[in-house]
Amino acid sequence: MSKEAILNKLSDAVVSGKPDLAKQGANEALAAKIDALDAINGGLVKGMSIVGDKYAARQVYLPQVLMSAHTMYAGLDILLPAIPKAAMANVKKCATAVVEGDVHDIGKNIVKTMLTAGGFDVTDLGKDVPIASIVSDAKAKKWDILALSTLMTPTMDGMKAAVDGLIENGYRKNVKICIGGAPTSPAFAKEIGADHRDANAQDCVAWLKERF
Amino acid sequence: MPTNKEIAFAAVMNDKAGGRLSTYPIACGVNRKLVNGGITYRDWAHDPKLYAQAFIEGQKKFSYDFAIGLMDLSVMAGDLGAGVRMDEQNTPFVDKPIVNSVEDYEKLKVPDIKKGRSSVILEGTRIFSQALNDQVVTAGFIEGPLLVLTQAAGAERVFMDMFTNPSAVHTALKTMTAFDTEMVKGFGKTGCVGLVWDYLWANYSCLGDKEYEEFEGKYCRPLNKLTGTEGMAFAIHSCADLPHLDTQIFDFKPAIYSMAYYPLIPDSPSASEAIAKGYADNCLLAGQIDPQLFIRGSVEKITQVTKDLCQEVKTALCKKGLGPRYCIASGCEVPPDVHTKMENIAAVVETTKKFGKIDW
Repeated sequence: MSKEAILNKLSDAVVSGKPDLAKQGANEALAAKIDALDAINGGLVKGMSIVGDKYAARQVYLPQVLMSAHTMYAGLDILLPAIPKAAMANVKKCATAVVEGDVHDIGKNIVKTMLTAGGFDVTDLGKDVPIASIVSDAKAKKWDILALSTLMTPTMDGMKAAVDGLIENGYRKNVKICIGGAPTSPAFAKEIGADHRDANAQDCVAWLKERF
Repeated sequence: MPTNKEIAFAAVMNDKAGGRLSTYPIACGVNRKLVNGGITYRDWAHDPKLYAQAFIEGQKKFSYDFAIGLMDLSVMAGDLGAGVRMDEQNTPFVDKPIVNSVEDYEKLKVPDIKKGRSSVILEGTRIFSQALNDQVVTAGFIEGPLLVLTQAAGAERVFMDMFTNPSAVHTALKTMTAFDTEMVKGFGKTGCVGLVWDYLWANYSCLGDKEYEEFEGKYCRPLNKLTGTEGMAFAIHSCADLPHLDTQIFDFKPAIYSMAYYPLIPDSPSASEAIAKGYADNCLLAGQIDPQLFIRGSVEKITQVTKDLCQEVKTALCKKGLGPRYCIASGCEVPPDVHTKMENIAAVVETTKKFGKIDW
């Protein structure tokens, strides 16, 4: 199978939400000595980008996006270990988290997927994540970007605590902080000292790409 | 001068004799701060007398036009067996979903509604309805089948299983519909005037029309009908960003539709846009004050926002030749947070009563 055919297979697998097909395509890419980064960008990411555009245009909805994300990660699990460490040296490191006290993570997972598709090295901290660990890990692991989410009002204060904690430990100037979730707003982002608030994962990725 | 109840009925019936817009900031759990000098969320959510007392005290203090018995969205999931994290002062949520495999969908059973927090809501609604039915329009609050399932099983899991294991999801939805049926019959015995359904997933950020119809719409219609058969007015609340208004208003035909507004999200309809598109022609629309203003806004700010909203909807209603078909409300529940400013709730009610007047 040609390189183009394999890349199309990976892209189509993501668009149609078929993880087994993505695994097959990823293995075929490695067997054909296709550069893993090419397979990711020209196959999986291309497919996720198509899905993102379709979601924005309301041609597909959340179930399809989640299946496509699941498919992309199935392919990434095979392709990422094949990338030489040197090729990842300049990739910006990002962490995603739903702050402590909240477990609503669909929005955060969509952001995580789009950041991954956007070429960032994403560490997903999960949901109900203690603020102290977000703050200390950001500095210890030298994250460039912190994307925080909450859907609940009482836990919004955790976002402020994270920003304050990063100021206190001296790492704030090294990290872009984006927030999201229904109760948040650009005004709230400004109030707590975050850099950005977005309602759309793709727009957030575009905002970050402009800054890196 | 018309009473609160007369104002509320006039609003629902599009009766211009009402004389002003109705109002109900969706202040539910926050009213616990008025009971016995302030009680915890946990106590409020587990004792029907305390639950009801919060609505009664809220009515005494604020003089609303409605009383709607919303607790939180983990009530039915908790009674199905999901683990609920109940903090003392915050909205509880499911932290241990009950569905961990496809087979688990089939194991879901309708719980005994005489136990758990379902029984607290039913008995509490009965108590506050008895106490307030002569003052306001009362209503119970219930979660739709897909919302109950996603709360119990985890939304991401359910959405992906819609693709990979749809028959298992449908099996569970039939159980959720049976649970809802029991609850509707229970609410029918409480004496509340209406029943508000939360059909959260009818929302273009999550589901298209086709998916919604398959996984909730077809289950809703018999429940909507049953609501009327059991003697209650049918109402819907949705705090989603892009609700399926054609389905939920033109097809389901509720008496009241409560909605939120997200100005930063393209196509999220403002109050005047919703009125202009005909959604208030046959139903009372309610909304759309940002719930965050009740915590983070000043009295001056929320007063101005309320005043502006009154003017916006009065103009839009007059353009359509409608009566008082808009209720000034919060787009979602007033946060039941200890820091919520009670004076901001008062400001919304008082401002609506002053600036919501209109001489048709």
